[in-house]
Amino acid sequence: MEATGRKRRKFLISLILGLGGLGLLARFFRPRLPQAPARLDVPRREVPPHGALVYRQARVALVREAEEFYALDLTCTHLGCTVTVTPTELVCPCHGSRFDRRGAVLQGPAQLPLRRLEVRIEGERWVVRG
Amino acid sequence: MKKRGLAGEFVAHLFPRVVRKENLRLSYTFCLGGLALTVFLLLVVSGLLLLFYYQPTAAGAFTSILFLEEQVPGGKYLRSLHRMASHLFLILLFLHTLRVILTGAYRPPRQLNWLIGFALLCLALFDGYTGYLLPMDQLALWATQTGMELLGTIPGGSLAKVFLLPDGIGGSLSLLRFYALHIVVLPLTMGVLIALHFYRIRRDKGILPYL
Repeated sequence: MEATGRKRRKFLISLILGLGGLGLLARFFRPRLPQAPARLDVPRREVPPHGALVYRQARVALVREAEEFYALDLTCTHLGCTVTVTPTELVCPCHGSRFDRRGAVLQGPAQLPLRRLEVRIEGERWVVRG
Repeated sequence: MKKRGLAGEFVAHLFPRVVRKENLRLSYTFCLGGLALTVFLLLVVSGLLLLFYYQPTAAGAFTSILFLEEQVPGGKYLRSLHRMASHLFLILLFLHTLRVILTGAYRPPRQLNWLIGFALLCLALFDGYTGYLLPMDQLALWATQTGMELLGTIPGGSLAKVFLLPDGIGGSLSLLRFYALHIVVLPLTMGVLIALHFYRIRRDKGILPYL
């Protein structure tokens, strides 16, 4: 009986120590990162109707379509390549997904529409985060 | 009896005392596992030399590769050797796995060694993947991008992504994690498992008696 009791105690202690250690490790590997700078911070410019401003490095396109103005995340929703903006649609060079100018999928393999990002006006600048 | 340390005991038990002549037939295993070990050692040595020039920072990585290739005598050869050996390593491991499957060597009583071998295959793939990002060229960046998106689709994948990419693909912290995994964590784990793998062959009384 005594042996069983000690076995259980040993098990519980190693369980607590193991889980505690794992928790500390998990915290160790998640550092507090400095606030990331805005993804896009550019002076405001006129976007012609049915036109778009493309910022490939930031992977953002500012699109004016009909009466709407929005920012599209150019990260392909399939495997994350940067899609190419053409006058009529957005095409991914990696696996051939095609999206319309609103970001909706025209042709797979991507299954989700391109993400829309919030455009904020700060003074005379456009700022996109996220 | 002579007293030996752990390493000495290991080496002493690695090789059999006697080997039957008919058991030395090469066409049974083609020595694929042994060849893979040789290539692993080659990877360790060439990688060790590459360490002296590689800089694991987002800004410095690609520049250090260019420096290695253009200014260091034999640098380009060494890097190509490391890369080619990594391809060969995976090819040999797959052939070895295929051989083990086709000869039924995974069956009891050697099931434990099959599990160790499978873990080694997975670790080797992961080591290859982490090494792929290190040059930080376009190919490396986009291959890692797509690979990480794939990882995100499996259960628990997003958690692994948080661990591997604290500041996104192309960030210095992420590169450093891939680097640490590539040069220390994974090779060490593999080294231990390889030793265990070869030790188990002897414990299971060699390769051929089960034929």
